[in-house]
Amino acid sequence: MRKRGLAAALAACAALSACVQTRQYADVQFTPPSGDYKLLVLRPDVTVGSIATGGMVQPRADWTEQARASIVQALRAQQASRGGNVTVIEHRNQLSGVSEQELADVERLNFAVDQSIVLHKYLGDGLPTKRGRGLDWTLGADAVRLGQKTGYDYALFLHAEDQVASGGRIALGILGLAGCFIGFCAPNVGGQQQLDYASLVDLKTGEVVWFNVVAAGSQVPGIKFGDLRTPAGAAQMVDRLLGRMKPGRAVQQASKER
Amino acid sequence: MCARCLEISRRSLLVGGGAAAAALHTGVASARVRPQDMVPLVGPGYRPTERDEIGLWQLMERAEEEIAGSNLLIQDPKLTGYLRDLIGTVGGPAAKDFRIYLARIPEFNAMMFPSGFAVVFSGLLLRMRNEAQLAGVIAHESGHFLRRHMIRSWRDQKRKSDLFSIGAMLAGIGGAGAGVYLGDYVQLAQLGTILSLFQYSRAMEAEADAMGAKLIAETGYPPIEMANIWEQLIGEENASARYRGKHRHKGGLFDTHPSEGSRMVDLRADAAEITVPGKPYDNKRGHYLDMINSIRPTLLDDQVKLNDPGASEYLIQTLAQDGWDGLLRFYEGEVWRLRNRPGDEPRAAQSYAAAVAYPDAPADAWRWHGIALMKQGRATEAKAAFARYLTMKPDAPDAAWVRQMAG
Repeated sequence: MRKRGLAAALAACAALSACVQTRQYADVQFTPPSGDYKLLVLRPDVTVGSIATGGMVQPRADWTEQARASIVQALRAQQASRGGNVTVIEHRNQLSGVSEQELADVERLNFAVDQSIVLHKYLGDGLPTKRGRGLDWTLGADAVRLGQKTGYDYALFLHAEDQVASGGRIALGILGLAGCFIGFCAPNVGGQQQLDYASLVDLKTGEVVWFNVVAAGSQVPGIKFGDLRTPAGAAQMVDRLLGRMKPGRAVQQASKER
Repeated sequence: MCARCLEISRRSLLVGGGAAAAALHTGVASARVRPQDMVPLVGPGYRPTERDEIGLWQLMERAEEEIAGSNLLIQDPKLTGYLRDLIGTVGGPAAKDFRIYLARIPEFNAMMFPSGFAVVFSGLLLRMRNEAQLAGVIAHESGHFLRRHMIRSWRDQKRKSDLFSIGAMLAGIGGAGAGVYLGDYVQLAQLGTILSLFQYSRAMEAEADAMGAKLIAETGYPPIEMANIWEQLIGEENASARYRGKHRHKGGLFDTHPSEGSRMVDLRADAAEITVPGKPYDNKRGHYLDMINSIRPTLLDDQVKLNDPGASEYLIQTLAQDGWDGLLRFYEGEVWRLRNRPGDEPRAAQSYAAAVAYPDAPADAWRWHGIALMKQGRATEAKAAFARYLTMKPDAPDAAWVRQMAG
């Protein structure tokens, strides 16, 4: 009886402490791109590290390279299935017709706008002026100019970071779990953490039309949910992040009324 | 099992208590690092070979791309070339591998990143009185790279946090098994771990100071200039704090850097140790001023607008120890004018009047001199000053207004 209770408690604990959350916002007029569109992916920001026993994150160059390649591959396959034509640039000097400085300006502007979106849409600090208006942010004329100069329809900004629990971290968690049997129960020392977000900018209007965050984390080391290093894990992440783009509210309502 | 666990927790207590006691006993000072012991640990063209350092360098690639493309950077080729030459001279074996960026930030700071690129703040160029001082700061930063400080302190932190986590877990389990609460000991061990991390960081700074002193002395700069930098900074911070009715922070257990006072004392000892009698040393003040001449007005302007009159006045007085000029007098006036306390207006007027007596007085000195004269009712002299301003700066944004004032 006691044992079963303990097992149930453990299961609940594990269920509560490992989860994948995703939440997307779209411009009210947003329709997910489909058909023949040109998508520019600007310097995907990927980092994969290993969580040491004591909790410090050690960046891993080899894993990061693997993850980046897998993510780009998955992204290309996914967009191609919708009819998209994807260009991925890794460095600011790879985009012809646009200077490094211009691209840097757009990237920095986007970073600031993304931070604002995260603050006001995800961290609970809602703006009364933007209530009920979907995703109402824009990069303005700079992004329109980028579109005019390069001929792309959309720009996608992508960030993915994954921290994988090392052997030592898992052992520490197991030690904590073992302690449960004598009354010091601490398996939840903190395990894999993944944070991915993406923003889609319409280069015809300059508006940020769609934004999504995927946060996955486990308090118990050793529990995994999609490993970015593997092609399958990267494809799962790309699907979670970009696979279920929903149209904006106005568009949804219009299609319901029809 | 429990006996063993207790033993381990006792050890963690000893480690923690020992570190705390050691820190309390010695204060924050640690033994001086001797310059001759500072041997570079990397050679030319160094590339990381171990996994953790490779990861760190890869992370830095993107950071460097971001910094190199930052719109805060000062791009003047003469200045950036000058800094590159300087680090190429005092950078030891890695001299040719370093990259150096100059950011327009009016603060005393410079930093070295793990993959060998440095960022110098413009506020540093304002404060350095000669090339030897600037070379000293750059050599200190090079020292961090040459002694592999970033990866060494990263490994130190990793090792200590690993050990602490295991110790804390074992203490918890052991305590639970024995029915004893060991949380207090765990906290003490945690404090000990944290304190030892800060101590390690201060030790690295002391190493970089010693390495820097050695590098500049070998290049022919007087090593005592490195100690003078700290003397100047202490003076500036005292002046700034005094104006604001506060006390300067004098260092504590949680500092990442040794206190400025101890760095100054250690560097004086270093300088005495490595200065070779009879060898000629040159601080190259003239060359330094030539090089930074084009941005000196910007540097002073940025500083004066920080609204820190205590520090600004001290800085100007310090720079003026090498001789007053029109620029320094003008900005002395600006400090008073912007402070705007009772009695500051006539003080500012005096400074502007003194500034225009120098041939290098900036156009704005004539403008403010004119306004001060106008306020004193000396219209004829004021008009002459405005006329001078307009000749020097015919396209000034306020030219029409000044012309009207000049009648």
